[in-house]
Amino acid sequence: MRLLLITLLLVSSLYSKSGILDIEWSKVTQKQQKPSIPYPNVLTKGVKDTRLPVYIPRLFAYDKNMVVVADRYFYTISFILKDATIMISGDRTFQEDFSNQGSKFQKMMKASNVVEFSIEEEARIITANFNKQGANYELQIECQTKSDKRCIKEDFIKNLYKQLIVVGGNK
Amino acid sequence: MKYFLTISILFLLLSCAKKDKNRDAVEETWKGRGFTYYPAGYLKPHSGRGRRGDRYIYAPHIRFPLAYAPAYINSQVYGVGGLYGQRGSLCDKRNYSYPWRDNYCETRTHKMPLCPAGVGHQGVDIRAKDCRDNTHYAVAVEEGVITYIGSYSVKLRGKSGRTYRYLHLNSKSIQVKRGQRVWRGQKIGRVSNNMGKTKTSIHLHFDIKETIRFGRYSKSVYVPPYTSLVDAYKRLLRGRP
Repeated sequence: MRLLLITLLLVSSLYSKSGILDIEWSKVTQKQQKPSIPYPNVLTKGVKDTRLPVYIPRLFAYDKNMVVVADRYFYTISFILKDATIMISGDRTFQEDFSNQGSKFQKMMKASNVVEFSIEEEARIITANFNKQGANYELQIECQTKSDKRCIKEDFIKNLYKQLIVVGGNK
Repeated sequence: MKYFLTISILFLLLSCAKKDKNRDAVEETWKGRGFTYYPAGYLKPHSGRGRRGDRYIYAPHIRFPLAYAPAYINSQVYGVGGLYGQRGSLCDKRNYSYPWRDNYCETRTHKMPLCPAGVGHQGVDIRAKDCRDNTHYAVAVEEGVITYIGSYSVKLRGKSGRTYRYLHLNSKSIQVKRGQRVWRGQKIGRVSNNMGKTKTSIHLHFDIKETIRFGRYSKSVYVPPYTSLVDAYKRLLRGRP
């Protein structure tokens, strides 16, 4: 009976479409630096169990008003600014496995390690999607006013992207 | 005369074949409640290139994101009263009637890897039962956690790992907090025209983001939500959301 159960579990895991992505931890440790001043409690406690590299823009690493929502395989951290909200999230899970699909999907994946900046013009939300060390990340700015340059031009979000540092995450 | 007959028959056969090719575009009907809809990827003419033929349900078993029926999936931009639509009121009856029209991949400038044009709308626009502002509730499509609340957007991360985004809810009507666990069907907020300090039409923009693995690589993308929503709506109409 037990053997049958184990076999069933093994077979179901083989056919499972969702799962956890592998992280290249060797590359992460090179980037992770010890902070000269400890990070706020809200951040360290919030991501203490998170099992992926936790990236945030250096500019906001000491913001005590940040909101952290995290679990074992994802995190979302948001910062409220005047007339705008900044959010960064990381995710180590996948929901579909299209490894055996045709070249159309493979072509799409060639660009997967390249940062993509996309502006949702009608909703005034600017987003950068990127993949780092195997996990997928999203950096987003949501603006309240139509003329806010932070959501019209890519300079601000690109600058935040360049400032990303690893502040947590365990193997 | 012989040639004339042959050409006529050929012409007839060709025209029949052409009709057959377009047969898919005829709206699909569903028994009961008068619900009709165009298949996934059949966008309003001249509003962009949809993912025709992709009938895969990316988010199976989700609840419909509005609390109750009827609701209408159709274009805001290309619908009556929209920026590129027919002249008229946004509250025009035609905007609040079946059949549904997919508007995922509708013409936009932002990059969308899964859209045939490489750019397009990231989700679908849904109108509630009627044009009343701040009246109809949007609800959680899956059990999960609220990860983000902006000035006009709410993100729910479902137990499945998919992220569902609700845009344009009335910010004062939001009934959830960041980090709050929600159950399937729990009220999130009311459908509105909120877009920060300026307004849009009264509707819910709903999108689904998930990570797709391709061998060694993976990518988070906005996936087509239309088929999942048709499936969810049928269950809502049956009284088993």
